[in-house]
Formats: sequence, structure tokens, C-alpha cells
Amino acid sequence: MPYVVRRPDRNLWEQSYVPETVRGLAVTLRHFFRNVLGRRDTVTLLYPEQRRPYPPRFRGVHRLTQRDDGAPRCTACMCCQTACPAECIHIVAGEYPADHPLAHVEKYPAEFWIDELRCVSCGLCVEACPCDAIRMDTGLHPRPVEARPHLMYERNLLLSISDTAGSVFTANPRKK
Amino acid sequence: MTTFFVTMTAIKIVAFVLFLLGGGALMVWVERRMSAMMQDRIGPQRANLGPFRLWGLIHIVADGLKMMVKEDFVPRRADRLLHALAPILAFFPVVVTFAVVPFGPTLDFAHLGAVNHNGPLFSGPWATTLQVAAVDVGLLFVLAIAGTGVVGAVLAGAASDNRFSLLGSLRAASQMISYEVTLGASLVGCILVFGTLRIEEMVLWQHQHLWGLLVQPLAFLLFLVAGIAESKRVPFDLPEGESEIVAGYFLEYSGMKFAMFFLGELMEIVVLAILLTVFFLGGWDVPFLFADGLHVDLPLLDAWVWHWPHWVVVLVQLLGFTVKVAGMVFLQMALRWTLPRFRYDQLMDLGWKVLLPLSLGNIAVTAVVLTALR
Amino acid sequence: MPKLTIDGREIEVAAGTTVIAAARDLGIEIPHFCWHPELSVAANCRMCLVEIEKQPKLQPSCQLPAADGMVVHTDTPRVREARRAMMEYLLLNHPVDCPICDQAGECKLQDYYQLYDLKASRLWSEEGKVRKRKRTVFGPHVVYDAERCVMCTRCVRFCAEIAKDPVLIEVHRGDHSEIAVAPGRTLDHAYSLMTAHVCPVGALTSRDFRFQCRVWFLSSTPTICPGCATGCNALLDHRRGEAFRLRPRDNPALNRGWLCDDGVLAFRLHNDHRLTTPELGRGEEARPASWDEALAEAAALLGKLPKAQRAAVLSAEHSCEENWALCVFAREALGVERFFVAGRAAGEADELLRHADKNPNRAGVRLMLGAEPEPLEKLVEEATAGSLRGVVALGAAAATTGPAAATGLLRLEALVSLAPRRGPLPEAAHVRLPCPSFAEAAGTYVNARGQPQEFPRAMPPRGEALEVPELLARLARRLDLTLPFRSTADVRAAVMPRLPQPAAGGGAP
Repeated sequence: MPYVVRRPDRNLWEQSYVPETVRGLAVTLRHFFRNVLGRRDTVTLLYPEQRRPYPPRFRGVHRLTQRDDGAPRCTACMCCQTACPAECIHIVAGEYPADHPLAHVEKYPAEFWIDELRCVSCGLCVEACPCDAIRMDTGLHPRPVEARPHLMYERNLLLSISDTAGSVFTANPRKK
Repeated sequence: MTTFFVTMTAIKIVAFVLFLLGGGALMVWVERRMSAMMQDRIGPQRANLGPFRLWGLIHIVADGLKMMVKEDFVPRRADRLLHALAPILAFFPVVVTFAVVPFGPTLDFAHLGAVNHNGPLFSGPWATTLQVAAVDVGLLFVLAIAGTGVVGAVLAGAASDNRFSLLGSLRAASQMISYEVTLGASLVGCILVFGTLRIEEMVLWQHQHLWGLLVQPLAFLLFLVAGIAESKRVPFDLPEGESEIVAGYFLEYSGMKFAMFFLGELMEIVVLAILLTVFFLGGWDVPFLFADGLHVDLPLLDAWVWHWPHWVVVLVQLLGFTVKVAGMVFLQMALRWTLPRFRYDQLMDLGWKVLLPLSLGNIAVTAVVLTALR
Repeated sequence: MPKLTIDGREIEVAAGTTVIAAARDLGIEIPHFCWHPELSVAANCRMCLVEIEKQPKLQPSCQLPAADGMVVHTDTPRVREARRAMMEYLLLNHPVDCPICDQAGECKLQDYYQLYDLKASRLWSEEGKVRKRKRTVFGPHVVYDAERCVMCTRCVRFCAEIAKDPVLIEVHRGDHSEIAVAPGRTLDHAYSLMTAHVCPVGALTSRDFRFQCRVWFLSSTPTICPGCATGCNALLDHRRGEAFRLRPRDNPALNRGWLCDDGVLAFRLHNDHRLTTPELGRGEEARPASWDEALAEAAALLGKLPKAQRAAVLSAEHSCEENWALCVFAREALGVERFFVAGRAAGEADELLRHADKNPNRAGVRLMLGAEPEPLEKLVEEATAGSLRGVVALGAAAATTGPAAATGLLRLEALVSLAPRRGPLPEAAHVRLPCPSFAEAAGTYVNARGQPQEFPRAMPPRGEALEVPELLARLARRLDLTLPFRSTADVRAAVMPRLPQPAAGGGAP
């Protein structure tokens, strides 16, 4: 359905363009002179030298939390794999043999791969995890690499990454 | 033609070209840093010579080096000759315009230390006007040369074998031709008032009477707007447009050929600033400063004269000229980073339906007033 | 013929029909754990309680025979409250270990909790839960978790009534009751995986499928079990080209919702030992080749022999379409008059489902050929004697796998094998051409009863495999002959009239 867009009402003063231009110039020049002489309002950071501290909820590289005995908390329930919209998580579930010290753990991730190249850092895997086994509180970016396979993060690497405070355990007391 | 005349002309040409090229290069820095300051940013300042960053000035050198070593790419089906010719044709008028612009009064090497009682313009065996060529049709020369700028833009688009370029050059051509009319018409008022086409005499008139800005304020505005449109900068930068036609007519240029377009455009800012200064801001005129020194002659106060030697007067006047040019450059830069661009139909409307009638009206009113005053 | 009203809708059912079955005929789902249409009624889960007008108490609909004039309500506040209360009881001691439970995603406890309960547990502490045995191996295929069990006894009744091997029993009482294997036994009868199938919760799970894949990742395609000549209707669960399990699909006239263990595990025929690229050469000399190379070699090997010394081996493992395509190719392109049939060796049989012939389509081969094919042993004999020198063979399996057979096959001068996976025939072949598994091409099997059953394609062929009709059409072109078909669809049109009309109630959808 066609509809009419009303032109804004403008009086002759505004229509003449010049005074409004002067007003615009006043704004830009005010900033210019304030920044050149005296106080600087610039918000730019010189990145590699100056860094803005990340907020506590920054979603960085994933880590897999450890149980107190060092085994992964992950039970390979695949909830993160299911929730992941980028399909970057691949888990192979496994069972410890009967004589293994961890035999009481019924299911564990024999393989756990995260393709950090595909990851969109949405954090849905963390939301989905019922065991607080996967977290993104590392404060890290994926390290630059020279070949794509190097950004396929593997289970033991993920287990070894700690959070910003250096802990490899869960940061969520409720899930202890 | 004396040896002195030839030598001085050569020196003036070299000085002016260097001034322009330096000014154009400096514009790159001014443009970036000034926009950054306006927008609460820092701007480029990472290029360095060891610990020295010089507020980003080194970027000019870095850019120059980059431009020189870049691949000079020519599209496969482009017209190679015209493709190479276009940047030269676009660059040339910008430089040549200066030939007739006076940037100072007459300088007499014979009496540098003495007080000059001959007035600003005079002749003598060791005197030279600070102007490359004083020609009778100086103003017409400026307009004529400015009119050739469109050729470079059109050729660049036509020779590139790229439809974006072609569209860009069509836009550039129609825009430049449209605003050239106003550019010329707005100066007719000045010609009427100053009564001459010789630019040095126009300046002299302003030196003796009033600045053009005060007698022809509307013409100043019209010339400023039309001049910005001629230089194809915001808000009239329609020959470019990332989303529609990418970089417009110089889309297919790289390396030094691109640099010529780029530098030419920035030098046009300086050119326009100089023309505005010459026509409307009294050129080298500095208030209260006359050829023999400072005359403070205010109402209610006794006249007071302070004689200065010739070289001091000329130096101050040259300085005044430079300051005015810098001020006009600053104004253009500020406008460019303040205003949003027009739509193409608005651009044409403004040129033909607003600026042209206004400039014609300005001529009529000026003529009537001048006749009435006579 | 009693006529009753359920939720305002009238239905007339056969005498003796229970209310839950009558409701199901109406499309009304009454939640239940212990009831199963093929099993006797236990009425111990109490999930199917419904309200009957003029009866003061809620009644278990699985046990209640429909009576004339009965008015049933299945969705009143009383009924909903009863279901919620039942769910609370059932979940009281449940470990809620869904993350490690294979049933998650197809678990009745999860479904009904979402539908009828949705309340937090009122048990004050996790410690209050009764702990029971976890991960108890019941047999070669089945593992039991007592904590997840709701004691519906479906598995017990299945073993006793359907499998006729009452190996599972209930032990203990109350909170502590659980399922156990009879002393001295393991759950090792031929239908043990059906106990996991009937289990509505995660108590009995398949050891084969255990932790392999979450069920919500799986896609299901209806298929026919390729495990034996019974032709049970099944669903193939697969993901990204890999098969994970077969599940029974109800066909009241044939398998009544059951599948034997061999059938459930027949999906392995799709996964294991696949041939994915054309290959040339035997044994040590084997090497992968391009299709162009392999087809040229096959045509050259077969083309140089006299017609009388060529033969074709049909496959009882493969569909009618594939066999018919081979028949046409062999007759028209090679002038073959001798047809043999290969297939997997015969095995155990019983009266419930399992057939001694472990090939799904021997009857179909007979129909496609229009005559009785000769057994493979005869081919081996003639190959040994040297009277047959060139063979084009479909399928991987050769029922005769003894050294003599191998020697005989190795004496052939040209053996071109079309096979989905490795096996005796392709191993003896000079040229191996990969073709689709049972899940990768649509087709028709004719079972031992003579019922033709169509099934669709579940996924595209793996690797470079080509569907048999297309493959043979390309090979025929190498022999300067254009076959009257180019795809499975063309072949199906030709095969359809040769098949008997499908029996009522049989066949795939």
C-alpha cells in the first residue's frame, strides 16, 4: 500500500542552509578545538600498547573444567554439541574399562574437539552444559596459527586451559 | 626580457609549484588529523622514525613511498594511452591556475632596507611583482583553465573500461559543468566592482578600498559553494560513492596515477583557498599595513604612522596571504567533515535552480547599485 | 460389540478391547509405561488412569475392558492430578542422570514429565534417594540400570511371552524392587535387544548403541531389514552417512513390531568394510582407480572372452531392481546364458521371525531372472574346470567361502565385482566397482513368503559408489551398447510388473 512521507516542515531560515551549516560547523569545531587545545575527549586506544580490560563475562576460548581428581567434568552428554549453532563441537563418548580408577564414572569424553575457527563465541554451549564442564571464562582469544588444523582444539588442551584466575576447576560452587 | 626577469620568473614558478605540492601533501595530513580531532579520534600517527612520530606527519612520506612502489595496474581492455593521459590532464589545470595569482606586492631588491613610498605596485630595474605572470585577462585565464579539469575526469572514466568509472565520470562531468556557470557568474560582480580583469589590480583595489568579502558577500558564498563543488568534495562528492559506483572515475587507477588524482584533488583545496583569498579577502593585504609601513587611522584618534622597511612590509604581507589561505583551507576542511552529502537531484537543483539565479541576481543588483552610485 | 464414548467421541470396538486400545483407535493417546499392545496387561504403572462416569475411583484404562455405554474422560483435572502424582512417585528415586543416559530424547519419563508434571522434586535431599545397581550387564547386547527402572515389567513379559525364554525376573520389594536375570542365566536369547526396545525408560539399553550417538541427532528412514528372508519392516536410524541402528517398524501382518538381535545389528552391513572407490587387481596388486580406468578395464576383460564362457552372478542380498539391471546387462551386453546366485550363508531359524536364509531377496532374484539361478558351488566347479572364464558378479557375500571356492574363483580370467563392501567375491575380482549399500538405493525385496516390499533411499551412496543401474549403463556403453535404463527409477518401472501384488497390510509406505 503506498503511503505518503511528509516532508519535514522547515522555515526559510533553515531552508537557506547557511545558518544551519554554521551551527554544524560550531559543533565539529568545538570538538576540534577542545581536542587540539587542552582536554582530550578522544576515546581511541592505541591497541597493542593500551588495552581495555575485558569485562568479566567476556567469552573467550573454551576450557573444559576438571574434577578434583583431574578427570574431565564433562560426561559427553552432547548438550553443547546440540546447542552449538556453528556445529563446531565434536565429541566421542567413551567408557572407562572396569579396572580403571575412574570406572565409577559411567561416561566420559574420549575425544572432545572444538573448531575455534568455526566457533561464533555465542556461549550457548556454556548455557547448555548441565555439569558446568565447558566454560568460556579464560579471557583468551584463539592464538593465531599457521594452519587450520591447529585451531581444532583437542580435549587435553581444553582441559589444560585455566580461567582468568588460574583455576582449572569449575567456578560455579552450585555445581561442585 | 632581462636576465633578472627570467631568473625571477623561474624562481617564482619553482617556489609556487613547491608550495602547491607541499601544500597538497600537507593536506593529506590536515585532512586525516583534523577529521580525527573533530570526531574525538586520534588519527594516524603510527609511522615513525625511531622515537619520532611528529604527530603523524611521517605518514605523508610513508604514503608517498607506498604510492611510488605500488603496482601500476591498467585494466586489460582499457585504452592505455588515454588511461595514462587522464591523471595528467586532471592534475595540470590545478597547477597552472597559479600562474596569474599574485601572492604578494612588488618586491624591489634594490631598496630592501628603505621605506617604500611608491605604493605596493611599481616598476623598477630590480623590482619584481610576486606573481608568475601578470596578464590582462588574468581572471578569465583562471576560469578557462579551471574548465579543462573536467577533461581529465571524463577521460579517466571513459578509458578505464569499467562501467562504474564511466558512471562516475558522467557524474563528475555534469556536476563540474553545472557549477562552472555559477563559478564564473559569481565573479562578474567582483569584476564590476573592481573594474578590472587583472588579478593584481583586483587585489590592489581591495588594498585601497575594501575587501571583496564586504562589497560582494553573496558572491563570496556562491564562489565558495561552486568552488567546493568543482573540487568534488563533500557535500558534493557524488562522482565517488562506495555503495553505488565505488571510487568513481578513478576506480581503475593505482600507484602514482591514482596519487595524481588524489593529490590534484587535495591541491584544489589550496587553489580554491588562494582564489578566495585573492578575490574576496584582499590577497596579500594586511589591515592598516601600507607600502611604507603601519598606518593606524581610526576615527576619534589621532592618525599614527610607523614606517617599516620595504622587506618587512612585504614579508608581513606574504605572511598575511599565507594565513588567509590557511584559514580558507581550514574552512573547507571543516565543512567537508561537517556536512552530509547531497543526493544527485539535490545537487543539480542547487546548482541550476538556486545558485545560478542567485549569481545572476547578484550581477543585476551590483550593476544597478554601481550605476546609482556613479 | 460394545459402544463407548471417550472424551465426547463415540467408538464401537470388538468385545474384550481395553479402553486404552479403544482410545488409541480414536487417536487419543493415554500416557502409559507398562502397557504394550503386543504384551499381556500388567496394570502396574498406574499412569493410564482415566475417569469413568458412574465409577467413583479412577480406573486403569489398560486393564479395563470397554463396555457398552461407558463414558470415559481422559483429560479431567482429577486425571491430570493423578498423572502428576504418578510421575512424582516414579521420579522420586530416579537419579536424573539424563546427560549420560542413552534413552534421553526418546524417554517416556522425560516426555511425560514435560507434559504432565513439570514440578521440582520435593525430596529434601539427594541422599534420601534409594541407590540401586547401575551399569549391570545382562547379556551380550543389553545393559541394565536399576535406578532408572520404573518396574513396568515390559521386559519380563516380553521374554516370557514373545521370546518364550523367561530369563528376566523381578526381585525385592517396594523401593528396592528391580529386574534381574534368572540365576545362572544371561540375557542371551535371539531377541534380547527387544527388551531394550520395549523399555520405556533408560533402564535397559543396547550395548551396541551405547554412547554412540544421541538419538536427537539421528534421522529415521523406513527400510526393510536386510538380515534375512523374513523381510521385517524396520526404521534405519542414521546420521551423516553412517547408520547407527535398526528399529522395528510395526507391520501387524509380518513382524508385529519386533526385530531379532541380528536384525537390529544388520545396519552394520552399511557401515563396515565399505568399498568406496573403484579398484583394480587382486591381493597384493590391488590399487584404487578412476571410474574411467576401472570401467575400461572391466569392459576389456569381459569383452575378449567368448560368450559361452561368460556368466553372471546375481545376489540374493541385493534388491530386485539391481538384480534385474544385471540380468538385462548380462544378457544384452555380454550374451550370458548362465546365471548363478550368491548370498550369505544360511543360519539359525525360529518360529517367531528368524529365517534360515540370511538373504533378504532370494525370491526376488528368482522372479527377476524368470528361472531358478544355479548355486555358486556350480560356478566354482566350472571355473576350476575352466569351462567358465569371465564373470560379472553382484554383491560381496559368497556363501561358499572354503579354500576350494577361493581357488575356483581365482582361476577365473575375468571377474568383475559390483559390491558395496569387501567380501569373498570382490576380493577374488580383477575389477571392483563400488555400489550402494541397502540404505543408499531405493529398491524392492521379495521375502520368503513372496511379499514384495519397497523401501526408499536413506542417504546418497558413500564415496564414489554408483547406483547399480547407472553403473551398468556406463559399463554397457564401453561395450558399445545402450541399455534401456539409466537410473534406479527407470529400472523400477520395468521391475514393477514382474512382482506379485503386495499382500494386504504388508509393504513399505
